[in-house]
Amino acid sequence: MRHLRLIAALAVATAAGITAGTAAASAAGDPVWVVSQQGAELARIEAGTVAGRIPLGPAPVAAATDRAGRLYLTHPDGRAVTVVAPGEPPRRLPVPEQAFGLAASPDGAHLYVGDWSGDRVLKIAAATGAVEGAAAVGRDPAHLVLDRRGRLYVADRESRQVSVIDTGTMARVAVVPTGEAPFALALAPDEASLYVANVRSGDLTVIDTATLRARATVPAGRMPYGVAVTGDGSRILVTNQHAAAVTVIDTARLEIVATVAVGPYPEGIAVAGPLAYVANWFSDDVSVIDLAAWRETARIKVAEGPRTVLAVGEPAR
Amino acid sequence: MRMPLALVPALVPALAAGLAVVGLAGAALAHGPTPQKIDQSIVIAAPPEAVWTVVGDFGGIGRWHPDVAKAEASGGNVEGTTRRVTLKAGGTLVEGLDEWLADGRTYSYRMSDPDLKALPVSSYSATLTVTPDGTGSKVSWIGRFYRGDTGNEPPENLSDEAGRAAMNRYFADGLKGLKAAVEGRTTH
Repeated sequence: MRHLRLIAALAVATAAGITAGTAAASAAGDPVWVVSQQGAELARIEAGTVAGRIPLGPAPVAAATDRAGRLYLTHPDGRAVTVVAPGEPPRRLPVPEQAFGLAASPDGAHLYVGDWSGDRVLKIAAATGAVEGAAAVGRDPAHLVLDRRGRLYVADRESRQVSVIDTGTMARVAVVPTGEAPFALALAPDEASLYVANVRSGDLTVIDTATLRARATVPAGRMPYGVAVTGDGSRILVTNQHAAAVTVIDTARLEIVATVAVGPYPEGIAVAGPLAYVANWFSDDVSVIDLAAWRETARIKVAEGPRTVLAVGEPAR
Repeated sequence: MRMPLALVPALVPALAAGLAVVGLAGAALAHGPTPQKIDQSIVIAAPPEAVWTVVGDFGGIGRWHPDVAKAEASGGNVEGTTRRVTLKAGGTLVEGLDEWLADGRTYSYRMSDPDLKALPVSSYSATLTVTPDGTGSKVSWIGRFYRGDTGNEPPENLSDEAGRAAMNRYFADGLKGLKAAVEGRTTH
């Protein structure tokens, strides 16, 4: 069974190459990208191994992708975003101030970049880097996520809230209170719920995206630093940076139903078909979690300081 | 790791000297910049239980860390206990215990309030673990921290480099002191 899966994964990976789209999202071993901050490298993981490496400028952190499979990465210390288009060398886009979280419009025309020290989100033309608009948000905007309607959710880390922005007008349409120090965000596949990992209060806020109100805040483990949702929407995965673990939360009951041990200081997490990948910042590797068995099945070595994992099979956010 | 907004004004005088105004908003709290790693260990000629007896008491760091003038803990070795560690060179580290496991001979803690005079970093967390090593023990002390000024152009004394130097010195001094304290005791 395991062998068949691997063979299937290899076939998909070979055929898809860098342009892997959304069609193969259910296949085992969908490729993921891992961003190493200190190692300044983008690693492509396929079928349990590093299948490609792309060197980047110094200290990349957050990443987003679009429908065409382009990747966008922020360099908070370098006033830049890197654009990696399939088959092209990485391109540096200068951006004002301290770009941390980002999202890309599905067509790749616009980037939404959080300015960590400027407490705002910029709308940027991906082709030229020109600033097209800005919205004030709370203090220290961390990660952002874009829904299919074009609404942007921003984790305002030091304001204990999520800002909601209409990207058409770049107006802030709502502010939703969360736990203490919201950092990472994930939308449910149906986009009815937004899950917010609160670093300092050790919990997860569930926001109803129809009413833009918090529906619940539930325990999520020690220092939640990354969040992802399974493809069927039934489980939320939260990395616990101070527990070397991933807590698994049932979306219906909103309770922790499993804890999976991973490497030290886990941060970013992404789901790719039946697997989840976790960036272990301290040990410079990626844990592979089997979502049927709920256990770690492998660790894959990557460049120093991995913080972000991005599934390329995911719809562009 | 509680860093209430009230702390920001306290930091301003310390930072003002070398900082452009634009950096201040994110200076105390930002986690956008590059986190830094500390990874140190030492081998001690004593069984793990003997080492743990000395190092395992969260509030007892003053008994083995040579840089520490005094330390006091708010409670016992349980999650939520806070210790105040006053350094000989000045400054006080306030640290909260997150996890303490006697079975694993390990504890994890994190900085509560930054004190740039004590260590030029804006936040950190760390884990100390004692494991068997032959007939002796190995003590590993690992952690993650952010530089003192997390803005885009930190002054030299609050840079990644300055943070690494200070944190590595603090951890190395501690491990050497621990080794001396434990081996001194067991050989007498």
